[in-house]
Amino acid sequence: MGTRIALFARMDSSKQMSPNPTELIDWMNGEGLLELDWDFPEDGDLFAAGLDSMAVMQLVVAVEDEYGVELGPDDLTRENLATPTTLAKLIAGKSS
Amino acid sequence: MSPGVRRFDVAVVGGGSAGLAAAITAARSGARTLLIERHGFTGGMGTASLVHSFCGLYLLRDEPGAVLANPGFSAEIAERMIAATGIGPLRVGRVDVLPQHPVDFVRIADEMIAAEPTLELMLHAEASAVERDAEGWLLKIASRSGAVEIFASTLVDASGDAMVAAWLGEGFTMAAATQLQRPAYVFGVHNPSVMGDAMRLRTSGLLVEGVRSGIIPSTALGLSFRESGRLGEIFGTIDLTGGDTAGDFDPLDPVCLGKLEVEGRRIAATTVEWLAGRDDTWKGSYISHWPVRAGIRESRRWLGEAVLTGADVLAGKRFEDEIALATWPMEFRENAKGPKLRFPENNRPCGIPAGCLKPRGMDRLFVGGRCISADHDAQASIRVMGTCFATGEAAGKMAVDALG
Repeated sequence: MGTRIALFARMDSSKQMSPNPTELIDWMNGEGLLELDWDFPEDGDLFAAGLDSMAVMQLVVAVEDEYGVELGPDDLTRENLATPTTLAKLIAGKSS
Repeated sequence: MSPGVRRFDVAVVGGGSAGLAAAITAARSGARTLLIERHGFTGGMGTASLVHSFCGLYLLRDEPGAVLANPGFSAEIAERMIAATGIGPLRVGRVDVLPQHPVDFVRIADEMIAAEPTLELMLHAEASAVERDAEGWLLKIASRSGAVEIFASTLVDASGDAMVAAWLGEGFTMAAATQLQRPAYVFGVHNPSVMGDAMRLRTSGLLVEGVRSGIIPSTALGLSFRESGRLGEIFGTIDLTGGDTAGDFDPLDPVCLGKLEVEGRRIAATTVEWLAGRDDTWKGSYISHWPVRAGIRESRRWLGEAVLTGADVLAGKRFEDEIALATWPMEFRENAKGPKLRFPENNRPCGIPAGCLKPRGMDRLFVGGRCISADHDAQASIRVMGTCFATGEAAGKMAVDALG
Protein backbone atom coordinates (compact mmCIF):
# COMPACT_ATOMS: atom_id res chain seq x y z
CA MET A 1 0.00 0.00 0.00
CA GLY A 2 2.88 2.32 0.77
CA THR A 3 4.11 2.40 -2.83
CA ARG A 4 0.65 3.24 -4.02
CA ILE A 5 0.36 6.23 -1.70
CA ALA A 6 3.62 7.57 -3.08
CA LEU A 7 2.02 7.65 -6.51
CA PHE A 8 -0.85 9.79 -5.34
CA ALA A 9 -0.18 13.26 -6.62
CA ARG A 10 1.84 12.24 -9.63
CA MET A 11 0.06 12.91 -12.88
CA ASP A 12 1.41 10.82 -15.69
CA SER A 13 0.39 10.25 -19.26
CA SER A 14 -0.06 6.53 -18.77
CA LYS A 15 -3.53 6.93 -17.17
CA GLN A 16 -6.12 4.73 -18.79
CA MET A 17 -9.27 5.92 -20.53
CA SER A 18 -12.52 5.57 -18.59
CA PRO A 19 -13.34 1.88 -18.36
CA ASN A 20 -16.51 0.14 -19.44
CA PRO A 21 -18.21 -2.05 -16.80
CA THR A 22 -16.64 -5.31 -18.04
CA GLU A 23 -13.15 -3.83 -18.07
CA LEU A 24 -13.82 -2.56 -14.56
CA ILE A 25 -14.68 -6.08 -13.35
CA ASP A 26 -11.45 -7.49 -14.81
CA TRP A 27 -9.44 -4.62 -13.40
CA MET A 28 -10.89 -4.96 -9.87
CA ASN A 29 -10.08 -8.67 -9.92
CA GLY A 30 -6.58 -7.99 -11.20
CA GLU A 31 -5.95 -5.40 -8.49
CA GLY A 32 -7.20 -7.81 -5.83
CA LEU A 33 -9.83 -5.26 -4.74
CA LEU A 34 -12.62 -7.82 -4.96
CA GLU A 35 -12.86 -11.40 -6.09
CA LEU A 36 -15.64 -11.41 -8.65
CA ASP A 37 -16.68 -14.46 -10.65
CA TRP A 38 -15.70 -14.45 -14.34
CA ASP A 39 -19.39 -14.09 -15.21
CA PHE A 40 -20.16 -11.40 -12.62
CA PRO A 41 -22.94 -9.30 -14.22
CA GLU A 42 -22.44 -5.64 -15.10
CA ASP A 43 -25.35 -4.77 -12.85
CA GLY A 44 -24.31 -7.24 -10.09
CA ASP A 45 -24.33 -6.05 -6.46
CA LEU A 46 -20.78 -5.05 -5.50
CA PHE A 47 -21.67 -4.69 -1.82
CA ALA A 48 -22.98 -8.25 -1.69
CA ALA A 49 -19.74 -9.28 -3.41
CA GLY A 50 -17.72 -7.95 -0.48
CA LEU A 51 -17.24 -4.23 -1.15
CA ASP A 52 -16.88 -2.89 2.39
CA SER A 53 -15.60 0.42 3.72
CA MET A 54 -11.98 -0.73 3.62
CA ALA A 55 -12.29 -2.06 0.08
CA VAL A 56 -13.86 1.27 -0.90
CA MET A 57 -10.76 3.12 0.33
CA GLN A 58 -8.50 0.86 -1.70
CA LEU A 59 -10.79 1.32 -4.68
CA VAL A 60 -10.56 5.12 -4.44
CA VAL A 61 -6.77 4.97 -4.24
CA ALA A 62 -6.55 2.49 -7.15
CA VAL A 63 -8.99 4.46 -9.32
CA GLU A 64 -6.87 7.57 -8.93
CA ASP A 65 -3.76 5.60 -9.75
CA GLU A 66 -5.22 3.90 -12.82
CA TYR A 67 -7.65 6.44 -14.25
CA GLY A 68 -6.37 9.72 -12.83
CA VAL A 69 -9.72 10.45 -11.22
CA GLU A 70 -10.08 11.72 -7.64
CA LEU A 71 -13.21 10.41 -5.93
CA GLY A 72 -14.22 12.47 -2.88
CA PRO A 73 -16.53 11.87 0.10
CA ASP A 74 -19.56 13.18 -1.78
CA ASP A 75 -19.02 10.70 -4.63
CA LEU A 76 -19.02 7.66 -2.38
CA THR A 77 -22.73 6.93 -2.14
CA ARG A 78 -24.40 3.54 -2.21
CA GLU A 79 -25.98 4.45 -5.56
CA ASN A 80 -22.67 5.34 -7.22
CA LEU A 81 -20.86 2.23 -5.97
CA ALA A 82 -23.75 -0.22 -6.36
CA THR A 83 -22.66 -2.06 -9.53
CA PRO A 84 -19.85 -2.11 -12.13
CA THR A 85 -22.19 -0.08 -14.39
CA THR A 86 -22.80 2.71 -11.87
CA LEU A 87 -19.12 2.77 -10.89
CA ALA A 88 -18.04 3.07 -14.55
CA LYS A 89 -20.49 5.93 -14.95
CA LEU A 90 -19.08 7.69 -11.88
CA ILE A 91 -15.50 7.40 -13.19
CA ALA A 92 -16.50 8.53 -16.69
CA GLY A 93 -18.39 11.52 -15.26
CA LYS A 94 -15.34 12.56 -13.25
CA SER A 95 -12.83 12.23 -16.06
CA SER A 96 -14.67 14.41 -18.57
CA MET B 1 4.02 -31.91 46.40
CA SER B 2 3.95 -29.77 49.53
CA PRO B 3 0.92 -30.34 51.79
CA GLY B 4 -0.39 -26.78 51.38
CA VAL B 5 -0.98 -27.10 47.67
CA ARG B 6 -4.66 -26.72 46.75
CA ARG B 7 -6.09 -29.45 44.57
CA PHE B 8 -8.51 -29.10 41.67
CA ASP B 9 -9.95 -31.59 39.21
CA VAL B 10 -9.56 -29.25 36.25
CA ALA B 11 -7.50 -26.08 35.81
CA VAL B 12 -8.12 -23.82 32.83
CA VAL B 13 -5.36 -21.47 31.70
CA GLY B 14 -6.89 -18.31 30.21
CA GLY B 15 -10.41 -16.90 30.54
CA GLY B 16 -11.13 -15.85 26.97
CA SER B 17 -14.03 -17.24 24.97
CA ALA B 18 -12.57 -20.78 24.98
CA GLY B 19 -11.44 -20.79 28.63
CA LEU B 20 -14.77 -19.46 29.79
CA ALA B 21 -16.58 -22.22 27.90
CA ALA B 22 -14.17 -24.89 29.14
CA ALA B 23 -14.34 -23.85 32.81
CA ILE B 24 -18.12 -23.47 32.97
CA THR B 25 -18.64 -26.77 31.12
CA ALA B 26 -16.26 -28.63 33.47
CA ALA B 27 -17.84 -27.08 36.57
CA ARG B 28 -21.34 -27.98 35.40
CA SER B 29 -20.37 -31.65 35.57
CA GLY B 30 -19.45 -31.13 39.24
CA ALA B 31 -15.67 -31.01 38.73
CA ARG B 32 -13.75 -28.72 41.08
CA THR B 33 -12.50 -26.24 38.52
CA LEU B 34 -10.07 -23.32 38.61
CA LEU B 35 -10.14 -20.62 35.92
CA ILE B 36 -7.03 -18.44 35.76
CA GLU B 37 -7.26 -15.10 33.95
CA ARG B 38 -4.71 -12.28 33.74
CA HIS B 39 -7.19 -9.40 33.45
CA GLY B 40 -9.86 -8.15 35.86
CA PHE B 41 -12.62 -9.81 33.84
CA THR B 42 -13.02 -12.74 31.49
CA GLY B 43 -13.91 -12.68 27.80
CA GLY B 44 -10.47 -12.04 26.27
CA MET B 45 -10.69 -10.78 22.71
CA GLY B 46 -14.41 -10.06 23.12
CA THR B 47 -13.90 -7.85 26.19
CA ALA B 48 -10.29 -6.73 26.76
CA SER B 49 -9.67 -6.27 23.01
CA LEU B 50 -13.15 -4.86 22.23
CA VAL B 51 -13.78 -7.26 19.34
CA HIS B 52 -17.49 -6.62 18.93
CA SER B 53 -18.76 -9.43 16.68
CA PHE B 54 -19.15 -13.11 17.41
CA CYS B 55 -18.07 -14.74 14.15
CA GLY B 56 -18.38 -18.45 13.45
CA LEU B 57 -21.64 -18.96 15.37
CA TYR B 58 -23.74 -19.58 12.26
CA LEU B 59 -23.70 -21.87 9.24
CA LEU B 60 -22.84 -20.40 5.84
CA ARG B 61 -25.90 -20.35 3.63
CA ASP B 62 -27.25 -18.53 0.60
CA GLU B 63 -30.79 -18.44 1.97
CA PRO B 64 -31.67 -15.60 4.34
CA GLY B 65 -31.78 -16.30 8.07
CA ALA B 66 -29.01 -17.27 10.49
CA VAL B 67 -28.78 -20.91 11.67
CA LEU B 68 -26.58 -21.81 14.65
CA ALA B 69 -23.76 -24.22 13.78
CA ASN B 70 -23.06 -25.64 17.23
CA PRO B 71 -25.53 -26.39 20.03
CA GLY B 72 -24.49 -26.03 23.67
CA PHE B 73 -22.35 -23.23 25.01
CA SER B 74 -22.17 -21.20 21.74
CA ALA B 75 -25.94 -21.24 21.42
CA GLU B 76 -26.34 -20.29 25.08
CA ILE B 77 -23.97 -17.31 24.78
CA ALA B 78 -25.72 -16.18 21.59
CA GLU B 79 -29.11 -16.29 23.31
CA ARG B 80 -27.85 -14.36 26.34
CA MET B 81 -26.13 -11.75 24.17
CA ILE B 82 -29.23 -11.18 22.03
CA ALA B 83 -31.27 -10.74 25.22
CA ALA B 84 -28.74 -8.19 26.54
CA THR B 85 -28.27 -6.07 23.40
CA GLY B 86 -31.62 -6.58 21.69
CA ILE B 87 -29.70 -7.10 18.44
CA GLY B 88 -29.90 -10.33 16.46
CA PRO B 89 -27.61 -11.83 13.84
CA LEU B 90 -26.64 -9.71 10.85
CA ARG B 91 -25.82 -10.79 7.28
CA VAL B 92 -22.60 -9.07 6.21
CA GLY B 93 -21.66 -9.96 2.63
CA ARG B 94 -21.96 -13.78 2.66
CA VAL B 95 -21.63 -14.40 6.41
CA ASP B 96 -23.90 -14.09 9.43
CA VAL B 97 -22.36 -12.49 12.52
CA LEU B 98 -23.76 -11.63 15.92
CA PRO B 99 -22.91 -8.07 17.00
CA GLN B 100 -21.87 -8.27 20.64
CA HIS B 101 -21.07 -5.59 23.20
CA PRO B 102 -17.93 -6.08 25.33
CA VAL B 103 -19.60 -4.45 28.36
CA ASP B 104 -22.50 -6.92 28.16
CA PHE B 105 -20.13 -9.82 27.56
CA VAL B 106 -18.29 -9.11 30.83
CA ARG B 107 -21.56 -9.15 32.79
CA ILE B 108 -22.86 -12.28 31.07
CA ALA B 109 -19.60 -14.08 31.86
CA ASP B 110 -19.69 -12.85 35.51
CA GLU B 111 -23.20 -14.23 35.94
CA MET B 112 -22.49 -17.57 34.30
CA ILE B 113 -19.38 -18.07 36.44
CA ALA B 114 -21.16 -17.05 39.65
CA ALA B 115 -23.85 -19.66 38.97
CA GLU B 116 -21.32 -22.51 39.26
CA PRO B 117 -20.54 -23.40 42.91
CA THR B 118 -17.64 -25.70 41.96
CA LEU B 119 -15.92 -23.08 39.79
CA GLU B 120 -13.28 -20.83 41.33
CA LEU B 121 -12.33 -17.73 39.37
CA MET B 122 -8.84 -16.37 39.87
CA LEU B 123 -8.54 -12.97 38.16
CA HIS B 124 -5.38 -10.84 38.07
CA ALA B 125 -3.21 -13.94 37.94
CA GLU B 126 -1.08 -15.62 35.32
CA ALA B 127 0.10 -19.19 35.29
CA SER B 128 3.82 -19.08 34.66
CA ALA B 129 5.13 -22.65 34.72
CA VAL B 130 3.85 -26.19 34.66
CA GLU B 131 5.26 -29.49 35.84
CA ARG B 132 3.92 -32.95 35.17
CA ASP B 133 3.66 -35.47 38.02
CA ALA B 134 2.22 -38.98 38.06
CA GLU B 135 -1.35 -37.91 38.82
CA GLY B 136 -1.63 -34.63 36.97
CA TRP B 137 -0.14 -31.17 36.78
CA LEU B 138 1.53 -28.75 39.16
CA LEU B 139 0.90 -25.21 38.05
CA LYS B 140 2.79 -22.12 39.23
CA ILE B 141 0.62 -19.02 39.32
CA ALA B 142 1.99 -15.50 39.70
CA SER B 143 0.04 -12.55 41.03
CA ARG B 144 0.70 -9.39 43.04
CA SER B 145 0.42 -11.49 46.22
CA GLY B 146 3.38 -13.57 45.06
CA ALA B 147 3.63 -17.02 43.55
CA VAL B 148 1.38 -19.91 44.47
CA GLU B 149 1.34 -23.50 43.31
CA ILE B 150 -1.80 -25.54 42.67
CA PHE B 151 -2.42 -29.10 41.56
CA ALA B 152 -4.92 -30.09 38.86
CA SER B 153 -5.71 -33.61 37.67
CA THR B 154 -6.35 -32.34 34.16
CA LEU B 155 -5.38 -29.14 32.43
CA VAL B 156 -7.00 -27.11 29.65
CA ASP B 157 -4.79 -24.71 27.68
CA ALA B 158 -7.10 -21.93 26.57
CA SER B 159 -4.35 -19.31 26.64
CA GLY B 160 -4.62 -18.54 22.91
CA ASP B 161 -0.82 -18.61 22.73
CA ALA B 162 -0.29 -22.31 23.58
CA MET B 163 1.40 -21.19 26.80
CA VAL B 164 1.47 -24.70 28.29
CA ALA B 165 3.45 -25.90 25.26
CA ALA B 166 5.80 -22.95 25.65
CA TRP B 167 6.44 -23.86 29.30
CA LEU B 168 7.00 -27.49 28.40
CA GLY B 169 9.28 -26.38 25.59
CA GLU B 170 7.71 -28.68 23.02
CA GLY B 171 4.63 -29.58 21.03
CA PHE B 172 3.94 -26.34 19.17
CA THR B 173 4.64 -24.53 15.94
CA MET B 174 4.27 -20.96 14.72
CA ALA B 175 4.08 -19.32 11.30
CA ALA B 176 6.88 -17.06 10.05
CA ALA B 177 6.63 -13.41 11.08
CA THR B 178 5.73 -12.31 7.55
CA GLN B 179 2.88 -14.84 7.34
CA LEU B 180 1.29 -14.41 10.80
CA GLN B 181 -2.16 -12.82 10.88
CA ARG B 182 -1.94 -9.15 11.81
CA PRO B 183 -3.49 -7.96 15.10
CA ALA B 184 -6.55 -5.71 15.34
CA TYR B 185 -6.62 -2.56 17.43
CA VAL B 186 -10.19 -1.69 18.42
CA PHE B 187 -11.17 1.50 20.27
CA GLY B 188 -14.41 3.16 21.36
CA VAL B 189 -15.53 6.46 19.88
CA HIS B 190 -18.26 8.80 21.04
CA ASN B 191 -20.07 10.05 17.95
CA PRO B 192 -23.32 12.01 18.19
CA SER B 193 -24.36 11.07 14.61
CA VAL B 194 -25.97 7.76 13.82
CA MET B 195 -23.44 5.71 11.89
CA GLY B 196 -25.12 4.08 8.94
CA ASP B 197 -24.10 2.85 5.51
CA ALA B 198 -24.01 6.33 4.01
CA MET B 199 -21.74 7.69 6.75
CA ARG B 200 -19.48 4.65 6.55
CA LEU B 201 -18.92 5.15 2.80
CA ARG B 202 -18.52 8.89 3.22
CA THR B 203 -15.95 8.23 5.93
CA SER B 204 -13.95 6.06 3.50
CA GLY B 205 -13.78 9.07 1.17
CA LEU B 206 -12.81 11.37 4.03
CA LEU B 207 -9.99 9.08 5.13
CA VAL B 208 -8.54 8.89 1.61
CA GLU B 209 -8.81 12.68 1.39
CA GLY B 210 -6.99 13.06 4.72
CA VAL B 211 -4.21 10.73 3.60
CA ARG B 212 -3.99 12.45 0.21
CA SER B 213 -3.50 15.81 1.90
CA GLY B 214 -0.83 14.35 4.19
CA ILE B 215 -2.67 15.25 7.42
CA ILE B 216 -3.36 11.72 8.64
CA PRO B 217 -0.99 8.77 8.27
CA SER B 218 -1.46 6.43 5.30
CA THR B 219 -2.05 3.59 7.78
CA ALA B 220 -5.45 5.23 8.46
CA LEU B 221 -6.56 3.45 5.27
CA GLY B 222 -6.61 0.32 7.43
CA LEU B 223 -9.35 1.84 9.62
CA SER B 224 -13.01 0.88 9.68
CA PHE B 225 -15.87 2.03 11.88
CA ARG B 226 -19.06 0.33 13.02
CA GLU B 227 -21.92 1.33 15.30
CA SER B 228 -21.75 -0.40 18.70
CA GLY B 229 -25.52 -0.77 19.01
CA ARG B 230 -25.59 1.87 21.74
CA LEU B 231 -26.66 5.39 20.89
CA GLY B 232 -23.73 7.74 20.27
CA GLU B 233 -21.09 5.00 20.42
CA ILE B 234 -19.10 3.45 17.59
CA PHE B 235 -16.07 1.19 17.43
CA GLY B 236 -13.06 1.90 15.26
CA THR B 237 -10.83 -0.98 14.14
CA ILE B 238 -7.33 -0.79 12.68
CA ASP B 239 -5.43 -3.74 11.33
CA LEU B 240 -1.92 -3.11 12.59
CA THR B 241 0.75 -3.72 9.99
CA GLY B 242 3.16 -5.43 12.31
CA GLY B 243 5.89 -2.85 12.64
CA ASP B 244 8.37 -1.10 10.38
CA THR B 245 9.39 -4.31 8.74
CA ALA B 246 6.95 -7.19 8.58
CA GLY B 247 9.75 -9.64 9.39
CA ASP B 248 10.12 -8.20 12.90
CA PHE B 249 6.53 -8.84 13.92
CA ASP B 250 6.27 -10.97 17.07
CA PRO B 251 2.88 -10.98 18.82
CA LEU B 252 4.47 -12.73 21.85
CA ASP B 253 7.14 -10.10 22.45
CA PRO B 254 5.81 -7.48 24.87
CA VAL B 255 8.04 -4.71 23.50
CA CYS B 256 6.97 -5.39 19.91
CA LEU B 257 3.31 -5.62 20.86
CA GLY B 258 3.48 -2.46 22.96
CA LYS B 259 5.01 -0.50 20.10
CA LEU B 260 2.23 -1.63 17.78
CA GLU B 261 -0.38 -0.55 20.32
CA VAL B 262 1.20 2.89 20.71
CA GLU B 263 1.17 3.21 16.93
CA GLY B 264 -2.50 2.12 16.84
CA ARG B 265 -3.41 4.87 19.31
CA ARG B 266 -1.46 7.46 17.32
CA ILE B 267 -3.29 6.58 14.10
CA ALA B 268 -6.67 6.48 15.83
CA ALA B 269 -6.26 9.75 17.73
CA THR B 270 -4.90 11.71 14.74
CA THR B 271 -7.66 10.40 12.49
CA VAL B 272 -10.64 10.93 14.79
CA GLU B 273 -9.47 14.43 15.67
CA TRP B 274 -9.15 15.27 11.97
CA LEU B 275 -12.54 13.77 11.09
CA ALA B 276 -14.23 15.73 13.89
CA GLY B 277 -12.95 18.99 12.45
CA ARG B 278 -13.44 18.10 8.79
CA ASP B 279 -17.01 16.85 8.42
CA ASP B 280 -20.43 17.46 9.96
CA THR B 281 -21.09 13.73 10.36
CA TRP B 282 -18.08 13.56 12.72
CA LYS B 283 -18.63 16.82 14.60
CA GLY B 284 -18.38 16.39 18.39
CA SER B 285 -16.64 13.00 18.13
CA TYR B 286 -13.85 11.87 20.41
CA ILE B 287 -12.18 8.63 21.42
CA SER B 288 -13.94 7.41 24.55
CA HIS B 289 -11.84 4.36 25.43
CA TRP B 290 -8.85 2.25 24.50
CA PRO B 291 -8.70 -1.53 24.60
CA VAL B 292 -6.79 -3.26 27.40
CA ARG B 293 -4.73 -4.92 24.67
CA ALA B 294 -4.54 -5.36 20.89
CA GLY B 295 -6.50 -8.29 19.48
CA ILE B 296 -4.02 -11.02 18.58
CA ARG B 297 -5.29 -13.32 15.85
CA GLU B 298 -2.50 -15.87 15.63
CA SER B 299 0.61 -16.93 17.51
CA ARG B 300 1.73 -20.42 18.63
CA ARG B 301 -0.37 -23.42 17.56
CA TRP B 302 -0.37 -26.80 19.34
CA LEU B 303 0.67 -29.93 17.46
CA GLY B 304 -2.10 -32.39 18.22
CA GLU B 305 -3.00 -35.97 17.44
CA ALA B 306 -4.84 -34.50 14.44
CA VAL B 307 -4.00 -31.33 12.49
CA LEU B 308 -6.85 -29.55 10.73
CA THR B 309 -5.73 -28.20 7.35
CA GLY B 310 -6.84 -25.43 5.03
CA ALA B 311 -7.75 -28.12 2.47
CA ASP B 312 -10.10 -29.70 5.07
CA VAL B 313 -11.82 -26.35 5.61
CA LEU B 314 -12.20 -25.65 1.87
CA ALA B 315 -13.63 -29.11 1.23
CA GLY B 316 -15.89 -29.02 4.28
CA LYS B 317 -14.41 -32.30 5.50
CA ARG B 318 -16.27 -34.19 8.22
CA PHE B 319 -14.79 -36.52 10.86
CA GLU B 320 -16.24 -39.38 12.90
CA ASP B 321 -14.85 -37.97 16.12
CA GLU B 322 -15.62 -34.31 15.36
CA ILE B 323 -16.43 -32.20 18.40
CA ALA B 324 -17.66 -29.02 16.69
CA LEU B 325 -18.21 -27.42 13.31
CA ALA B 326 -16.06 -24.63 11.89
CA THR B 327 -18.13 -22.39 9.63
CA TRP B 328 -16.15 -19.19 9.31
CA PRO B 329 -14.40 -18.76 5.93
CA MET B 330 -10.62 -18.67 6.15
CA GLU B 331 -10.03 -14.99 6.80
CA PHE B 332 -6.51 -13.90 5.95
CA ARG B 333 -5.20 -10.68 7.39
CA GLU B 334 -1.54 -11.09 6.65
CA ASN B 335 -1.24 -7.41 5.77
CA ALA B 336 -3.22 -4.29 6.66
CA LYS B 337 -5.12 -4.16 3.36
CA GLY B 338 -8.29 -5.69 4.73
CA PRO B 339 -9.35 -9.31 4.91
CA LYS B 340 -9.11 -11.85 2.11
CA LEU B 341 -11.77 -14.50 2.54
CA ARG B 342 -11.60 -18.07 1.24
CA PHE B 343 -14.98 -19.78 1.31
CA PRO B 344 -15.51 -23.55 1.44
CA GLU B 345 -17.18 -25.45 -1.41
CA ASN B 346 -20.95 -25.14 -1.34
CA ASN B 347 -20.91 -23.36 2.05
CA ARG B 348 -20.01 -26.65 3.74
CA PRO B 349 -19.07 -26.59 7.43
CA CYS B 350 -15.87 -28.38 8.42
CA GLY B 351 -15.69 -30.80 11.33
CA ILE B 352 -13.04 -30.30 14.00
CA PRO B 353 -11.78 -33.73 15.09
CA ALA B 354 -11.20 -34.42 18.80
CA GLY B 355 -7.51 -35.04 18.01
CA CYS B 356 -7.03 -31.30 17.34
CA LEU B 357 -7.70 -30.73 21.06
CA LYS B 358 -5.27 -33.44 22.25
CA PRO B 359 -1.57 -32.53 22.25
CA ARG B 360 0.54 -35.33 20.80
CA GLY B 361 1.91 -37.79 23.32
CA MET B 362 0.46 -36.09 26.41
CA ASP B 363 -2.48 -37.20 28.50
CA ARG B 364 -4.61 -35.18 30.92
CA LEU B 365 -4.03 -32.11 28.76
CA PHE B 366 -6.50 -30.55 26.31
CA VAL B 367 -6.62 -27.41 24.21
CA GLY B 368 -9.44 -25.06 23.30
CA GLY B 369 -9.60 -21.84 21.32
CA ARG B 370 -7.41 -20.34 18.63
CA CYS B 371 -4.29 -22.39 19.45
CA ILE B 372 -5.80 -25.85 18.82
CA SER B 373 -3.92 -28.08 16.40
CA ALA B 374 -4.51 -26.61 12.92
CA ASP B 375 -2.25 -25.40 10.15
CA HIS B 376 -1.87 -21.68 9.46
CA ASP B 377 -4.65 -21.69 6.85
CA ALA B 378 -7.21 -23.62 8.91
CA GLN B 379 -6.38 -21.45 11.93
CA ALA B 380 -7.71 -18.50 9.90
CA SER B 381 -11.14 -20.16 10.19
CA ILE B 382 -11.17 -21.76 13.65
CA ARG B 383 -9.74 -18.73 15.52
CA VAL B 384 -13.03 -16.79 15.71
CA MET B 385 -14.92 -16.52 19.02
CA GLY B 386 -18.02 -18.44 17.89
CA THR B 387 -15.82 -21.46 17.15
CA CYS B 388 -13.65 -20.92 20.25
CA PHE B 389 -16.75 -21.25 22.46
CA ALA B 390 -17.36 -24.65 20.86
CA THR B 391 -13.78 -25.96 21.05
CA GLY B 392 -13.47 -24.64 24.61
CA GLU B 393 -16.65 -26.42 25.62
CA ALA B 394 -15.35 -29.66 24.07
CA ALA B 395 -11.99 -29.28 25.84
CA GLY B 396 -13.83 -28.83 29.16
CA LYS B 397 -15.84 -32.02 28.56
CA MET B 398 -12.73 -33.98 27.56
CA ALA B 399 -10.91 -32.77 30.67
CA VAL B 400 -13.75 -34.07 32.86
CA ASP B 401 -13.94 -37.39 30.99
CA ALA B 402 -10.21 -37.88 31.53
CA LEU B 403 -10.73 -37.70 35.32
CA GLY B 404 -12.15 -41.23 35.11
